[in-house]
Amino acid sequence: MKRKVSLFLCGVLAMGCLAGCGSDTPTENTQSVEITGSTEMATKNDAGTSDEVVEIKIWHDGDESIMQIIADCANEQLAADSIHVTFEKKSDMPDKLRMFGTDEVNGPDMYMYAHDTLGSFAELGILAPITDVIEEDVLTDMIPMTVEAGNYKDTQYLMPVYYETLLFIYNKDLWEGEVPSTTDKLYDYMVAHTDVNAGIYAVVNQHSNSYNVAPFIHGFGGYIIDKDVNPGLNTAEMIEAVTYNQKFAALQADGDYNTVTALFNEGKAAAIIGGPWLISGIKEAGINFGVKSLSDFTLPNGNALAPYSGVQSIGVLKYAAENKKESIKKVLNAITSPEVGIALANQSGCAPANSKAYEDADVAANEIIMAMEKTTKTALPMPNIPEMSVMWGPAESLLTAVNKSGEDVETAAEKYQQEALTAIADMQ
Amino acid sequence: MKQKRKLMPYLYSVPAFILIALVIVFPILYTAYISVTNMNLYHWLDYEIIGLDNYVRALTKVDSGFLTALLTTLTWTVLNMVIQMVTAYFIALGLNREGLKGRRIYKTLLMVPWAMPAYVSILLWRVGIYNTEFGLLNKILVAFGFPKQDFLATNVPAFISCMVLNLWMALPFMITMIDGALQSIDKSCYESAKLEGAGFWAKNIHITIPAIKGIIAPSVIMTTFTTFKQFDIVYLLTMQKGAHSGATLQTVITYAHQNAFVSNNYGLSSAVSIILFFLIMIFSIFTNRGVKEESYE
Amino acid sequence: MSKRKLKNRLQLCGLHIFYILLCFLALVPILYALQLSFSGSSGAVSSELSLLPQDFTFDNYRKIIVEKPFLRWFSNSIVLAVCTMVIAIGFAVVAAYAFSRYRFKGRNAILKVLLLLNAFPQILSMFALFRLLKEMNMLDTKLGLVIIYAGSMCIFSIWNMKGYFDTIPIEIEEASKIDGANDFQLLWRIIMPLALPAIIVTAVLVLISVWNEYVFSTTFLLNENSYTLAGGLYQLQSNDYSRSWSMFSAAAVLVSLPILVIFFCIQKYMISGLTAGGVKG
Repeated sequence: MKRKVSLFLCGVLAMGCLAGCGSDTPTENTQSVEITGSTEMATKNDAGTSDEVVEIKIWHDGDESIMQIIADCANEQLAADSIHVTFEKKSDMPDKLRMFGTDEVNGPDMYMYAHDTLGSFAELGILAPITDVIEEDVLTDMIPMTVEAGNYKDTQYLMPVYYETLLFIYNKDLWEGEVPSTTDKLYDYMVAHTDVNAGIYAVVNQHSNSYNVAPFIHGFGGYIIDKDVNPGLNTAEMIEAVTYNQKFAALQADGDYNTVTALFNEGKAAAIIGGPWLISGIKEAGINFGVKSLSDFTLPNGNALAPYSGVQSIGVLKYAAENKKESIKKVLNAITSPEVGIALANQSGCAPANSKAYEDADVAANEIIMAMEKTTKTALPMPNIPEMSVMWGPAESLLTAVNKSGEDVETAAEKYQQEALTAIADMQ
Repeated sequence: MKQKRKLMPYLYSVPAFILIALVIVFPILYTAYISVTNMNLYHWLDYEIIGLDNYVRALTKVDSGFLTALLTTLTWTVLNMVIQMVTAYFIALGLNREGLKGRRIYKTLLMVPWAMPAYVSILLWRVGIYNTEFGLLNKILVAFGFPKQDFLATNVPAFISCMVLNLWMALPFMITMIDGALQSIDKSCYESAKLEGAGFWAKNIHITIPAIKGIIAPSVIMTTFTTFKQFDIVYLLTMQKGAHSGATLQTVITYAHQNAFVSNNYGLSSAVSIILFFLIMIFSIFTNRGVKEESYE
Repeated sequence: MSKRKLKNRLQLCGLHIFYILLCFLALVPILYALQLSFSGSSGAVSSELSLLPQDFTFDNYRKIIVEKPFLRWFSNSIVLAVCTMVIAIGFAVVAAYAFSRYRFKGRNAILKVLLLLNAFPQILSMFALFRLLKEMNMLDTKLGLVIIYAGSMCIFSIWNMKGYFDTIPIEIEEASKIDGANDFQLLWRIIMPLALPAIIVTAVLVLISVWNEYVFSTTFLLNENSYTLAGGLYQLQSNDYSRSWSMFSAAAVLVSLPILVIFFCIQKYMISGLTAGGVKG
């Protein structure tokens, strides 16, 4: 009897709610129309009376000090137009943008993030093509690779701001002799200078993170996912690369981000493979460091290491492109101006996307930026197809299984290739 | 008047029920609704009802991987609950020992792990205790001349590591609950038992445990659920994005998360959630029965 | 006689040693956080085996309190936690009273359904709750979050307090009932004082869960100034690029302190409430 009552209650609740959901849809539509209507009026007012300041909100999940440099520099240029840009940090930004990307009242006007998430945002239908807002010739000043990265299915969605790629960063006080130029010699150096139990390391790397192992994978001719959406975790090249990386991993500590960074910053590791985002921490720790481009290292097969490059770019949300077009155009022009690029390069070591910024003498003399520019010759932009977002997990699992749990490379490769295929199939 | 009295209990429950309907019931039903649509990356704004397709696909995920995860989760729940109950009981019992001075300080200190947000504790343990380079355990090992161990790299040590952390995080609550219950026992019961010459174990089994059973039952049930649903510990300790530790430990929830949620297919992941919900319901009906048999009612 | 005394003293001594060891064990990770929070090195995790900070400094604390809107986060957390506590406990006490004292149709069924509903992992409700708040126009408001928090703590509170109410003998109320007291007077004058420890424990539990919650608060509150402490702290550590461990530990210590103070304070009330009532188990 009791069970019957509870079942009945569940049923009633379920019916009530489903009915509620069904009737929700039409009201919701009218509501959103109303909202768009009223904001349109509001923006018209903003554009008409120039003494009112238009606020442009940009979400990001990056370094706040870098965003501050961009915001300060851009706001200076925009003050005359009564436009004000604010950068708001959102942890787990992609998840949040998925929800708020259609919510004009609470969502941002634009977002800034690495370009590899572009495909999934574009497929959601929340982004406006960047060419709806700006003239195409603005893009001609940008380094072609950075523009390319923001292009998905022949539509230009993203405006590049700066790019980053992995570097070989070493401690000049600890490194003995010249930094070798082949990976085999680098390995010999590591064997000679590493004492795991004492916690002394020659080179550390996030050896089980696919982004950090990509230089090896690409150097061996492998790929994580190709243009035709085929995962490449079980290819012969991948297996060769993972096996080669495995012996390095054994001498590279835990490989967790915090661990390797702390080891390097504390002078317990003589070199680290990492991105320019590590530089500010390294400087703060007072380390006398030098950098070397990864393309200066050759693998046994004669190829140079080829890391991924990530382009921090700005995308415009559809509703913002419709309602705040003029303001957004000005903001984009300001953010991607050579002035912002120079400020970024000199103050935080970011490599600007605007090629004109490199005419500045200080930028041209910046060791870090020059090393990154050199690397772009071999670097590959991260794929921006939506399927890339489900590849990081299986690729990382493969590397951890081999490096940490001591699983057989080929079995693990097969297993995680299957997992990747399932994950891609699940997206549809 | 009598009619009115009949309505009173419902009336009293209305405010709470409205909240529960909004925050608990609505999401479940909404999830059920999404689970019959094709809402995913490619149909984000223009999704439509497609029937039970997602359930068919979700059920194919109930494979050997899922069964292993289920077994792991059950072992996890049982082990955690048993250890937690026994340890908390004796710790609380000791705290109520007559003549023990400074118990307030002990109690407060023992509560400290509870006062930290879960993710803070977990990250703290990952770096401060288990890490191969900086973790306390490895520092001790090295100090005694042993080689470093990666506690999270393989499944069994990782399971134990997760369990120790879970106990650390959950014990304060259990101790408080049992401690509160112990204080409500009438002291005169013990005096008569003493006269009859009952020993330590006899007193515990015949007086203390029956007396507190009813009071702590709700918190035990709730904790069992929380333990079963535990996600943060296993996820943040071993499988956080960009920081996989090597162990391939999966509980039911992390399995569902990995199989459905990373793909951003909301229709499919909702179907998985609903199936999961049914499984937990079946599980809880069993627990409920177990509790009822011993219950005071 | 003195032998028994000696035995008693030895037992107490043993207990003290046991609890001191236990507390130390439980506190090791916390001590580690404390040590880190006073360490000067820029966010680095030391590889020395020591529980004493290297180059002792208050800098991390100063940075958080001065450079981050810490006080704002703190007051946000307090407002959210207290409002949630009042609403959740207020609603749940009344409902728990009804379930404990009345025998009505569907009582057992409802109690069981509530328990089953509680089995739905809340982490899966995120998207639905987003839609709910959006429809109610409550995104980015404290009220919206309070509703979510109160709703998610309601079932637990009802169950927990009903369990205690059941142990209070009904005869105590009978006398007052004859005097013509209504339900609310009974609840307020008799049940509440008797069940005070249970209510306090439940309330503190609600308080802690709100205080430590970060997923909903960072998702539904959009402005850095409206974050809660736990949420703001989560933002602090979530960014790989600028993760500063010593600052993070300092923040963690600051978040936990208020809860510890509350723990210490409520213990007095828990005991006095119980002895005053003389509740039978």
